[in-house]
Amino acid sequence: MTLELMPDIVLGALLLLMAWGALYAPTRYDAMALFVAFGVVVALIWARLGAPDLALAEAAIGAGLTGVLLMQAARQLPAEASVTGKRMPWFGSSLLFLVLTCAMFAAHILTDSSFKQAGIDASATRLLGGPTVPEMVTAALPNSGVSYPVTAVLLNFRAWDTLLELLVLLLALTGVRQLYPGTPQHPRANTASPPQAWPVLLSWARFLAPLLVLLGGFLLWRGASGPGGAFQAGALLASAAVMLRLTGLLPPLRWSSFLLRLAVILGALLFLGVALASLAFGDGWLVYPTQWAGALIILIELAATLSIAVTLSLLVIGESEDLSS
Amino acid sequence: MTYALVSLSIPLLSALALMLAGARLSNRNAGIMAIVTSLLSLGAAWFCLLDVAAANQSILLNLGGWENGLAIRLRLSPLSSLLLLFTAFMHVLIGIYAGFSRRGVSRDFWTLSSLLHGSLAALWLSADLFNLYITLELLGLTAVAMVALAGKKAYKPAANYLILSLVASLFYLLGVALVYGRYGSLDVVLLGLQTQSDTTTRIALLVMTAGLMLKAALWPLHLWLPAAHANAPTAVSALLSGLVVKGPIFILWLLWSEVAPVDLAQQIGPVLAVAGMIALVAGGLSAMRSPYLKTLVAYSTVAQLGYAMMALGLLMAWQLPQMHVALWLFVIAHGLAKATLFLAAGEMQTTLGTKRVSGLRGATQTVPVAMFAFAVAGGSLIGLPPSGGFLAKWVLLEPMLSSPQNWPWAFGVLLGTLVSAAYIFRVVAISFDRARINPPDVRPDRLGHWLALLPALMVWGMALIGEWLIEFLSGGGV
Repeated sequence: MTLELMPDIVLGALLLLMAWGALYAPTRYDAMALFVAFGVVVALIWARLGAPDLALAEAAIGAGLTGVLLMQAARQLPAEASVTGKRMPWFGSSLLFLVLTCAMFAAHILTDSSFKQAGIDASATRLLGGPTVPEMVTAALPNSGVSYPVTAVLLNFRAWDTLLELLVLLLALTGVRQLYPGTPQHPRANTASPPQAWPVLLSWARFLAPLLVLLGGFLLWRGASGPGGAFQAGALLASAAVMLRLTGLLPPLRWSSFLLRLAVILGALLFLGVALASLAFGDGWLVYPTQWAGALIILIELAATLSIAVTLSLLVIGESEDLSS
Repeated sequence: MTYALVSLSIPLLSALALMLAGARLSNRNAGIMAIVTSLLSLGAAWFCLLDVAAANQSILLNLGGWENGLAIRLRLSPLSSLLLLFTAFMHVLIGIYAGFSRRGVSRDFWTLSSLLHGSLAALWLSADLFNLYITLELLGLTAVAMVALAGKKAYKPAANYLILSLVASLFYLLGVALVYGRYGSLDVVLLGLQTQSDTTTRIALLVMTAGLMLKAALWPLHLWLPAAHANAPTAVSALLSGLVVKGPIFILWLLWSEVAPVDLAQQIGPVLAVAGMIALVAGGLSAMRSPYLKTLVAYSTVAQLGYAMMALGLLMAWQLPQMHVALWLFVIAHGLAKATLFLAAGEMQTTLGTKRVSGLRGATQTVPVAMFAFAVAGGSLIGLPPSGGFLAKWVLLEPMLSSPQNWPWAFGVLLGTLVSAAYIFRVVAISFDRARINPPDVRPDRLGHWLALLPALMVWGMALIGEWLIEFLSGGGV
């Protein structure tokens, strides 16, 4: 074992520890705090593995927004539910199962020769003697319209996946909306007014929000040439919106507003429109003309950032008055 | 291929438009719009089928015009064109039922059903393991949201369904990651040329299979299905049982018939076939004992999927092309029959004001059309000739009966048939009990009852085009 492995081992152990803690913490509050910490460790691990895009997304969505969502949900639970109570036996068994699976994998990776032949990462694997996928990406990059391979894969080579992912996000929102059927009878009575925020918090929020917007814009712009892009930028913008809403600085977003609905679907609509236009007038489904590829990608990313930001904010802070039609 | 893409994008556009329109569009108009777009998509799917029938082979398309391995590949095979048509037809039918029969649906049903239509179309066309994962995710989330449409009582089954569906997706994703790590490719066609049965491939395929079996509610991972399907609104139950569980089966079939190395498939095949046989009997027995009508129909889905699993298992074990045909005939016949069963069950429940099977006493007199539809569709599930179910079963039985060492499998099919007959006849027998009639609460909704009959007639009509269907499915790269 070399010394280089030490940080990885520490991170891995930390991850398991956090996961264990999040599952078995005595109170819900502790469990949630550990879950957020778990998200941060996952983000660190992604960064360590050389995937800064994933690290950014994980930190913003996995740790940040999900944490807020959990706290919000916990606030609405009755006080006696704040203690997690007795251990559920199936938790233990599923965890045991998970550990066993991991052990099996570890044993298998150490002993099986197929991994050694192939090398563990895909870059060493040749496809029927042809070029590997990373080689193909590098070769096709000049024609993709952007200079960062991850963005090229997400918005050009495998754009269809990204289009469907945007629909997944829309669907999540539609699913959550099912929990608020119809117009609330007494819109004022059944939603608690936002708690009066602490003045220091208010001024912090006022200071942080524009910074977050700036940072989101930067990440979006940077996506063309380096780590960043629509999902990360959208998540940052959403966190700004969530912060403003929680401090009472932002009025409720209302699903009944046409502009809000337009913002939610804009990304998917524009993407699908580009696909259809390329089918009707161009060379085929999602084939961008080479000279316009860069501009089209930026346009789609802009629309997608807006949609992702609005959808994520609605998912996290949406209450009855935001979501019911 | 253009028609297939049009057939795929129409429902997606319609879903986005419905979401944008929101409350500006009245519930009825939203329904009409969704039905019209499904009809348009049905038309495109029909032309697409004609194209494929003329070409008589699969058509491959590299999205974005990139080279193999870099691009996501779509594949339009005869089977996928047939499934596109089937999906669009089911959406038109159930859309008309949901929009015009007496039991209304909420506005979001239309958005969700359009999205479901689009995601299924994307799934049938995809030939890329990661792209299939995303369509699977879309499918699962739509199904959960649709179950939740039934209101508060459905939240718990919907939440359970959501969690199981996510766990299943993660299992599948883990398998995809392992396959990519091992072979550096996600394309089904390319993978099929190079997979070997080493440990990595084995683990990947088994993990994916477990996830997909959980999603498709194949025995023994079926426990979530009856609660979710029985608690959803009637139109949604029909869509879920008729279409949604078929998506994971498609991927499972793709994995084992194309990606998996042959010797591994031959090892695993008998296990799946036995699981299918157990599903047939266990699901059938649960259906027989269920006191509630919709739960009975939901358990019958578990049982009938056993046939599909058996066909898949035997396909893997014997590598007989005929089993492809048997599998997909089962899927289509079951989809049509199950649409009828759920619609008829829902209509009878509303009219007679009871959820219990025992409340159907005298249903042959009080709700004759719905009861007739139920019995006719049940006949196809049992496999009475000349229904679609019989056609599928015949194709399945032929290689079993032709050589004596395969007779135990035939015995399993026979047992399944008996159990299916038992739970269908249980309902039919109660409905003939005219001595103690359960009087209807409301006048039967005529449109709903006749709509329920339509797919049942179609499943019997499958026999008329049986020869063509078998030829179409066995020709050209299915």
